[in-house]
Amino acid sequence: MMRLIPNHTSQIKRAKEISFRFDGQTIKAHQGETILVALMGNGIKHLRDAPVDVKPRGAFCCIGLCQECVVKVDGQLVESCRKIATDGLVVQSLRQ
Amino acid sequence: MTSAYDLAIVGGGIMGCSTALRLAENNMKTIVLDQGDLGQGASGVNAGTLSLQIKRVKLMPYALKGHREWEAMGEAVGFKKTGGYTLAFTEHEAELLHERQALKANAGAPIKFVSNNALRAAEQNLSHKILAASYCSEDGYANSSLTGQYYRVRLKQNEVEYREQCCVTLITRNNSCFELITTLGNIQAKRLLLSAGAWLKPIAAYLGVDLPVRARINTVSVTERMPHLLSSIVGHATGLLTIKQKTNGTILIGGGWQGRGTPEEGRGNVSANTLLPNLSLAQHVLPELANARVTRSWVGFEANVPDFYPLAGALPGIDNAFVLGCVRGGYTIGPYIGRLMGDFILGQEPELPLFDPGREFNEV
Amino acid sequence: MIKTCDVAIIGAGPAGANAGIMAASQGCRTIIIDEQAKAGGQIWRAKSAAIKSAPNTPETIDGDRLRASIDASNVTHIANARVWQIERELEKWVLRLIINGRSEKIVSKVLILATGAREYVQPTPGWTLPGVIGLAGATALIKQDLVIPGKKIVVSGTGPLIFYVASEIRRLGGEVSAIVTPNSPVDWMYAIPSMFSRPELLWRGFVWVADLLLSGTPIFWRNVIKQIDGETKVQSVTVSKVNNDWSPLDQKRLIEADSVCIGYGLQAATETSQLSGIDLKHQPELGGWVPEVWENGETAIDGLFVCGDGTGIRGAAAAEIHGKLVGLSAAEIITSNVNFPRSALLTSFRRASRFGMAMTALSIPRKGLQKLTTDKTIMCRCESLRRCDIEHQMEAGAATINAIKSGSRAGMGPCGGKYCQTAIAKLIAEKEHRTEAEIIPPTPRPPLRPVPASELSGEFEYTDLPIPKPAPL
Repeated sequence: MMRLIPNHTSQIKRAKEISFRFDGQTIKAHQGETILVALMGNGIKHLRDAPVDVKPRGAFCCIGLCQECVVKVDGQLVESCRKIATDGLVVQSLRQ
Repeated sequence: MTSAYDLAIVGGGIMGCSTALRLAENNMKTIVLDQGDLGQGASGVNAGTLSLQIKRVKLMPYALKGHREWEAMGEAVGFKKTGGYTLAFTEHEAELLHERQALKANAGAPIKFVSNNALRAAEQNLSHKILAASYCSEDGYANSSLTGQYYRVRLKQNEVEYREQCCVTLITRNNSCFELITTLGNIQAKRLLLSAGAWLKPIAAYLGVDLPVRARINTVSVTERMPHLLSSIVGHATGLLTIKQKTNGTILIGGGWQGRGTPEEGRGNVSANTLLPNLSLAQHVLPELANARVTRSWVGFEANVPDFYPLAGALPGIDNAFVLGCVRGGYTIGPYIGRLMGDFILGQEPELPLFDPGREFNEV
Repeated sequence: MIKTCDVAIIGAGPAGANAGIMAASQGCRTIIIDEQAKAGGQIWRAKSAAIKSAPNTPETIDGDRLRASIDASNVTHIANARVWQIERELEKWVLRLIINGRSEKIVSKVLILATGAREYVQPTPGWTLPGVIGLAGATALIKQDLVIPGKKIVVSGTGPLIFYVASEIRRLGGEVSAIVTPNSPVDWMYAIPSMFSRPELLWRGFVWVADLLLSGTPIFWRNVIKQIDGETKVQSVTVSKVNNDWSPLDQKRLIEADSVCIGYGLQAATETSQLSGIDLKHQPELGGWVPEVWENGETAIDGLFVCGDGTGIRGAAAAEIHGKLVGLSAAEIITSNVNFPRSALLTSFRRASRFGMAMTALSIPRKGLQKLTTDKTIMCRCESLRRCDIEHQMEAGAATINAIKSGSRAGMGPCGGKYCQTAIAKLIAEKEHRTEAEIIPPTPRPPLRPVPASELSGEFEYTDLPIPKPAPL
């Protein structure tokens, strides 16, 4: 099919792979990615359950404002869209 | 234009609204005016602490009655009787705690001293550096954010008129009637109650009365939802900290650390210089707070006079004008002293004495 | 640690960065503070360290140029830093920020706010499902990590951003299931004359649309997403035609999708302005509430300036020029010999604004869009409050955003009301038959972002805490 916008995927070189734990699951990521991007790459979008209605939520603004994508690292809530995934990191979702 | 009201109340906080409700029982035609929304001043932005351990000794009978009022208001204001601990970390603080809480217990508050073991058994997450603690089973909290909505509903139920975003810009007197010039039109009333909190001074000045009202600028902060950490409300021997965890998991941190700004400028500001030690002190008391993200901090203006006792009675030199405010512990005592004020305006003897606004004020 | 400077700037996007470069060029000691790892703002967001190499785009070229200019200047750029409080103390601006988990303080004579924009999304049934992200959020993922949010993506909303996002999804190998926009081709025809001032962008837009048409991607003009379907993830979207005021009509169409990018235009991010004490005014043509600012960025408050989209949505090109102008105005407070021809800048700012505002005009939600928010639709995401919960507060007498907030907690959650207050204001305006300009935004509260208590306090000794003397007994 003719396209005016080229497909650039083959020309993108990513950093080496690392891995971290998310709710006990091993997640592969590229070094330098945010937790959110790594999870998204592994098809994981449901990051927490909302208070009150306990319905599933995931990243929304992706720029550190909406707080929908928070996860727990070292006992602390962090925005997964801003926190860089590092090798061996242990990440917990806020799913119930 | 409607005919004259029996009473116009300037200031729709807890004091003004609770007085209005008392008067509605006697069919007095009352209107409540607020420059903003009802209950959005000190009544709506304080930390909601209901603690006998931080009340002044002389005001204890009023505070005890106040607790009954809040209990009766119940769920609509988020009332919870949790019991409360007051903590001391140094010898000096322990002395202060013993001396002060003993006096308050004498004044009728069910305060006792508790051992560290008993404290730890009740609240596992508190600091292990506590030297002494007192406990009061009467203590608890209400949700001050709900003040406005609570009184809106109550005033409507009792057919009391109210106007919000209604700023009184002048008050004059003619033919034994007060005329209030407001941003929403003129209002005539036979009697007048000033209950405008930190804005009492400029309002009373319209009538040529100089009230020595000043404002403290109290800081309150709240965290996002946290796992269960605390069941009781917790304070500090100096009175400069309150911590409570709400049922939704958020943790409210107060204690009266001073922000900046003036009521005349219309708004106050949080000062990092006082917010940071306030938060440090809170973490010292409840170490798990370190992990909590603070989502909001704000300030509220708490009115006072030099002797830190209430203004509750006749406005000096002006017939049929009254003033109610500057009640130290006003959130706790407000609903009760408003009722007393109502009795006084109706010409009845209040259950407990009021506080003459015409008295000499001595600085404490 | 305390840093002092002449000019402090919050935000390193096109406006903030240029303001900083200009102020520094006039000899001012200048600090730019920014949340991101690299300068560029949202429009020129830099690639993350995870990308070793990738083809350039106009955005990466412009962004790299901006970053190189900052590097070549005397500006101190503090990255990964979050300002959480702004105070005026002894005639100076005091900024409190968190850098690498530590609390820091910057004291500056002049403060320039360049905090850009945020996106408006009309609450729609299903918009809280995982897999639904903002259009602006999609651009962040695309620019920073060159990733796309799903495999079958519906791109929906107003203005030019939908075509940019859709085209980038295709560039990154993704499939756009459909484009859904309440704008009509006629809306765009009317905008074209003002786009001739930026022929390169007009051409780019033409290529985006032509490529989508060639690829057979359906473009549903004059349509909106009425509902996003799914239990725990996006399964499909229900699309409906709209009338002239963008009220959804009854005809419906189902489109399969695993993710949705949605946005209805930008608004000035006004939190820093409000916290600094600037009054706001409502200017719908600039995206809604904007701070009271003169064209040179000056405000009614001493030593306080605002530039770029934070003063109203005029777009990146205008923001760049505005940044330069405001940088010069700010420098004048510090040094008396600012010598720079300003009339040419002013002219080009006005021209660039016309383009940006034409795009804003296309993006501004029309009244009917509010009908997307049904009774049970969540309005306040943080507290899971539905429209009926908000209306319940109004029925009980709450008539302001502050009163609704107090009564229901709408806006009290961790986002601080950033994603609900506008929708709630629109709802109040509709119910009370008032204009949006009469619905005053809620009182600003620090911290500007949620901050861990431990990071605020840092290490401390109990005995060093300045505990005031106890209250009277």
